[in-house]
Amino acid sequence: MNHFEVFGLTPSLDVDLRALEQKLRTLSLEFHPDRVTSGEAKERRIALEKTTALNDAFKVLKDPTRRAFYVLKLKGVDLENESSAAQAKMPMAFLEEVMERREQLEATRARGDLAAAQAMAAEVSTLKTQAFEAATTALKADDVATATHQLGRVKYFTRFLEEVEAFEEERLS
Amino acid sequence: MKGFLQIHDPLKPKGQVVGIDLGTTNSLVAAVVNGKPLCVEVDEGAALLLPSVVNYAADGAVLVGQRAVAKLADAPTDTIKSVKRFMGKSLGDLETKKLGAYQFVPGTTGIVRFQVAGGQPVTPIEVSGEILRQLKRRAESRFATKVEQAVITVPAYFDDAQRQATKDAGRLAGLEVLRLLNEPTAAALAYGLDKNAQGTFAVYDLGGGTFDISILELVDGVFQVKSVGGDSALGGDDFDRAIVEKVLAQRGLTSPSPTQIARLLQAAKAAKERLTDATQTSFDFEGVPFSLTRAEFDSWVTPLLQKTGLAVRRALKDAGLTAADIKGVVLVGGSTRVPAVRSFVAQVFGKEPLADIDPDQVVALGAAIQADLLTNAERQDEVLLLDVIPLSLGLETMGGVVEKLISRNSPIPIAQAQVFTTFQDGQNAVDIHVVQGERELVSDCRSLARFKLTGIPAGPAGMARVEVKFAIDADGILTVSAKDQTTGAEQQITVKPTHGLTDEEIEQMLLDSIENAETDMQNRLLVEQQVEAKRVLTDARKQLELNGDLLSDGERASFRASVEALQTLSAHATDHQALKDAITALDEQAKPFVERIMNRAITTAAVGHRVEDF
Repeated sequence: MNHFEVFGLTPSLDVDLRALEQKLRTLSLEFHPDRVTSGEAKERRIALEKTTALNDAFKVLKDPTRRAFYVLKLKGVDLENESSAAQAKMPMAFLEEVMERREQLEATRARGDLAAAQAMAAEVSTLKTQAFEAATTALKADDVATATHQLGRVKYFTRFLEEVEAFEEERLS
Repeated sequence: MKGFLQIHDPLKPKGQVVGIDLGTTNSLVAAVVNGKPLCVEVDEGAALLLPSVVNYAADGAVLVGQRAVAKLADAPTDTIKSVKRFMGKSLGDLETKKLGAYQFVPGTTGIVRFQVAGGQPVTPIEVSGEILRQLKRRAESRFATKVEQAVITVPAYFDDAQRQATKDAGRLAGLEVLRLLNEPTAAALAYGLDKNAQGTFAVYDLGGGTFDISILELVDGVFQVKSVGGDSALGGDDFDRAIVEKVLAQRGLTSPSPTQIARLLQAAKAAKERLTDATQTSFDFEGVPFSLTRAEFDSWVTPLLQKTGLAVRRALKDAGLTAADIKGVVLVGGSTRVPAVRSFVAQVFGKEPLADIDPDQVVALGAAIQADLLTNAERQDEVLLLDVIPLSLGLETMGGVVEKLISRNSPIPIAQAQVFTTFQDGQNAVDIHVVQGERELVSDCRSLARFKLTGIPAGPAGMARVEVKFAIDADGILTVSAKDQTTGAEQQITVKPTHGLTDEEIEQMLLDSIENAETDMQNRLLVEQQVEAKRVLTDARKQLELNGDLLSDGERASFRASVEALQTLSAHATDHQALKDAITALDEQAKPFVERIMNRAITTAAVGHRVEDF
């Protein structure tokens, strides 16, 4: 069963979050291990497995970015797997751009210049939104090559933003 | 671990199930009786709070609670307090060093071992086990039945090692841990069921040593944790320490003795508590008074409160909410009695916090409710708790960078599989290092476990495909399994905990404690007889003094000799039965004497005197 099927849905980029949460509650009430604490070992194991699958699926489906990566995966390209050959298909120019930005971020971090890092983050955040929109359009048009490229960019931008966030927390704590 | 310890008989009667709040400062045990949760009296003077303090004496005796607190100043290194802060920690952790004057013993694993009087060094797991054992015993005598199953609460922010340590402590105390429940979730459960509330709630829990913030949503009987955050090394103890630091600075004391620190900490704690109602107070230290106002105290703790504010904002952000979305804020933990904490919370959330249920009891009461929900078939449909993993779980990759595997606040139980391959031709093993935390470098996260995947069929680099599955159960505890994708063979993985005890060590401790339990039982029976002997001896001496003239000289000498003999026996007895026999013998010998005393009393009463000292 894929993550969409767990929730009785067909693969789609559009998911109604409220309905998803409602379904998580009803399915949890049905499957959760706490419902069968006095049951047999086998029954409890099945409950654990079902709930685990449910939570795995929820984690992916509730988040638009994760959901898009998953839809791409169902189309045969697993970008979340590090060793995936898809990684190598990113254009060289983009990889160089990424390297440059990261070096700049390292430098601002070394200087302790949070404001400069946040300015970079704002810029990257816009790029990420654009890339994600392009990926969504491509996925809806079943253009797997473009979707792969754009989601690859989303992935790099996300990592960049996580680094800025780590820097922020470091400065605040 | 396999063996007789895990044999589980489903038909065995379970006795009373309880909820336990194993706190940094105090511990409580509660149970649902006639549909209502109530806390059990656990310490001297019918106290509901058992101070989480354990004293180890030279003769091997172990004291828990107030009686251990009394030893704090005189035996600071043999009296372990705030042991919860050491759970799942190693000597290498920075925090361990600032936590008091303890003497540590290096062990085979990184786990902390305290050198205490009366024998072997003890681990935090064993110390916590003593606290749990005391709670278990008190609950057993309160309910006059066995107590073998418990829900034990932990701070939501506890990592895997701390959770595992807590569960192990439960096992050591002879408790089957039904569930490790996050403290704020427990508190919300206590409020939620009482009020049938719907909506989103925040639980602000500031205990002795830990701070937790949880955002929960209650809809249609499902209690869903949206996000948790906090600081497992921040609490009311730090308020005390802030005061102590001011005293030390004022007195110019740069290297105070353990006893000085222990005395100061006690005085500071009392002063802090007085400032809940008073606006100023003072205490004496070595003959010189130290005075402080509430405003001064507030300013000293402000940086600590701001740290909690940071965690609150992060938890709200993780839940995708703002302070305005929160319907109510529940206060938990004794430290929320501090006025500065209440006004800070009101300011952060823009509304007055709820505090209808005693903040000291609310967690234990919630744990009791969960224990009841889990075991009482009639109540299982009432409410369901859906909890989350508090800290992200990751793996070490090239260059010491963490790759996130399961991100924080994912609902549990949850699992994630990862495929590993080889980097070199002919490589037949892969090292895996599991860490927990939010930082990007391995060195900034908590190391949970290291293990080696072995038996990979040798081949060209990148050929092997081993799928490793990391599963987090409903207690938030990690298990690992692996499967070779090419051969389909299951792999055996031995996870060596970085900070905890191995299963073998736990098993040995359990065996030891079973042996000790036998000795403990003998000791208890002996003590009971010694108390009985004391009572009989006191009576006998009193009657000899008041009514000795009723005996002949010979009788009196013989009786006196028997009294002295019992006194000596009681002081040196090792066998409770021998002592019991001696008591019975003395009682027998006293019968004619008692008869004469009775007759005299009746005669005296008949002539109009009051019967006194009878």
